[in-house]
Amino acid sequence: MSTHVIRFEKVSKAYPGTAKPALDQVSIDIEKGEFVFLVGQSGSGKSTALRLVLRETRSTGGRVHVAGKDLNRLAGWKVPRLRRQIGTVFQDFRLLPNKTVSENVAFALQVIGKSRAEIKKVVPQTLELVGLDGKGERMPHELSGGEQQRVAIARAFVNRPMILIADEPTGNLDPTTSAGIMKLLDRINRTGTTVLMATHDVHVVDQLRKRVIELDHGRVVRDDAQGAYGAAG
Amino acid sequence: MQFRYVFSELRSGLRRNLSMHIAVVLTLFVSMTLLGLGVLMKQQSDIATRFLGDQLQVTVYLCRDGDTNPACAARATDEQKQRVVEAMEGNPEVASYTFESQEEAFEKVKELYGADQFDGDNPALTAADMPESYWITLKDPKEFQGIESEVQGLDGVSQIRDVHETLKPIYEWLDALKYGSWGIAVFLLVAALLLVANTIRLAAFARRKEIAIMRLVGASTLYIALPFLMEAVVTAVIGVALAGGTLGAFMWFGVHERIADSVKFMPWIGAQEYTTALVVIAILGPALTLLPTLLLTRKYLKV
Repeated sequence: MSTHVIRFEKVSKAYPGTAKPALDQVSIDIEKGEFVFLVGQSGSGKSTALRLVLRETRSTGGRVHVAGKDLNRLAGWKVPRLRRQIGTVFQDFRLLPNKTVSENVAFALQVIGKSRAEIKKVVPQTLELVGLDGKGERMPHELSGGEQQRVAIARAFVNRPMILIADEPTGNLDPTTSAGIMKLLDRINRTGTTVLMATHDVHVVDQLRKRVIELDHGRVVRDDAQGAYGAAG
Repeated sequence: MQFRYVFSELRSGLRRNLSMHIAVVLTLFVSMTLLGLGVLMKQQSDIATRFLGDQLQVTVYLCRDGDTNPACAARATDEQKQRVVEAMEGNPEVASYTFESQEEAFEKVKELYGADQFDGDNPALTAADMPESYWITLKDPKEFQGIESEVQGLDGVSQIRDVHETLKPIYEWLDALKYGSWGIAVFLLVAALLLVANTIRLAAFARRKEIAIMRLVGASTLYIALPFLMEAVVTAVIGVALAGGTLGAFMWFGVHERIADSVKFMPWIGAQEYTTALVVIAILGPALTLLPTLLLTRKYLKV
């Protein structure tokens, strides 16, 4: 058995009506417990790669394996089960504004059918882990951007997923707050969760010195084990 | 699966789109009532056919003294009667026939209108006013033209009455009501389906954030769609219940207490036919609301 959690084999993705493919023969292997930055300009194919991992779309060529499953062959009804193994964090947090912090985190467990007892136990633990101890009853609009992103991370991580996908998680945050969020993601990574993060944030990438995969026009142009944002770094 | 969650979603979903749900309930209510009425009409028409088929007879009235028909010079003679009998016996459409005397005809009339009207010194009718007649039972209720035309021209025959002719207007009314109510029901059903579709679209839009997150964290399609399906079922059940109640009231106050009481020559639809109509709307109502819901939730809530 390979330890690859995510594996792209010559993956291409062309959207209908566009001349150039969004991804062009991309091959990537990501092992369990890795922390990987996906960098590149807008339109380089980062978001498409993340969408393929989540099986929000299918590749038009090659194979995508996630958590040991060939996503091109995965039946539609099995997709929810795949997604339970993947936590997702976005730039815009995507919290439910009419639910409290605790309810937002609990929601992710409720809708996959976890028991109330388990939710009651796990949610406070996760809030504590992300540094929101005692803020469970607040509403999202009462929190700062950084705190809201912590809620989103708590929601993504509360089910202890195998993979955490983060799409520009620091895009809306100032550098100090971003550093805090990165610390948190690093901490989650140390629990064994594979983290795949798409970003534009030069500081963040340069500071952490993790694996960096750079995409350009849908192709992998760089894959450094301990890279910086720029090629020369 | 957390039923508490599904039910709380159902409750808030029903509340959020209350006016739309009421519109769906009302259109379903009216269309299901009309559909049920059509089913009842059809059954009434079947009952009438069955009932009249048993006694589909052609009656040949013979001339009597003072007959209103100018072709009748006087009361039919024995010779004329013999001709009619020969014609009936020689005709392949005739299964059997019976002769009804003036007295027998008079007894029938007395039975129908109450004997007291014909007693006493100055009765409205006497046996002498009644015509003699032959009652012909046909082999096939639909084959009656041959014997009719054969007997028609014979001397001593005043009038030929065919039950079919008498009841034609009733059949026509029943058919018109049946097709009319079905036609209107179809239009209303289309309106109901469109309303259901719009309701789902609105609800899916109102809950798009929740739905996006549910998909993201791996909620199953069924779990996401269940509140929508339950909303459809609840509105369908209310609509069908209202229609069933209205049809029940129609059966009780309209048929049982009025028509069946005053028009007794024919059997009328009853509990059994009402049950059939109920079953039809109880299946069609929910099915027709669930179908667009299933199709649209697949479209809007695709995982």
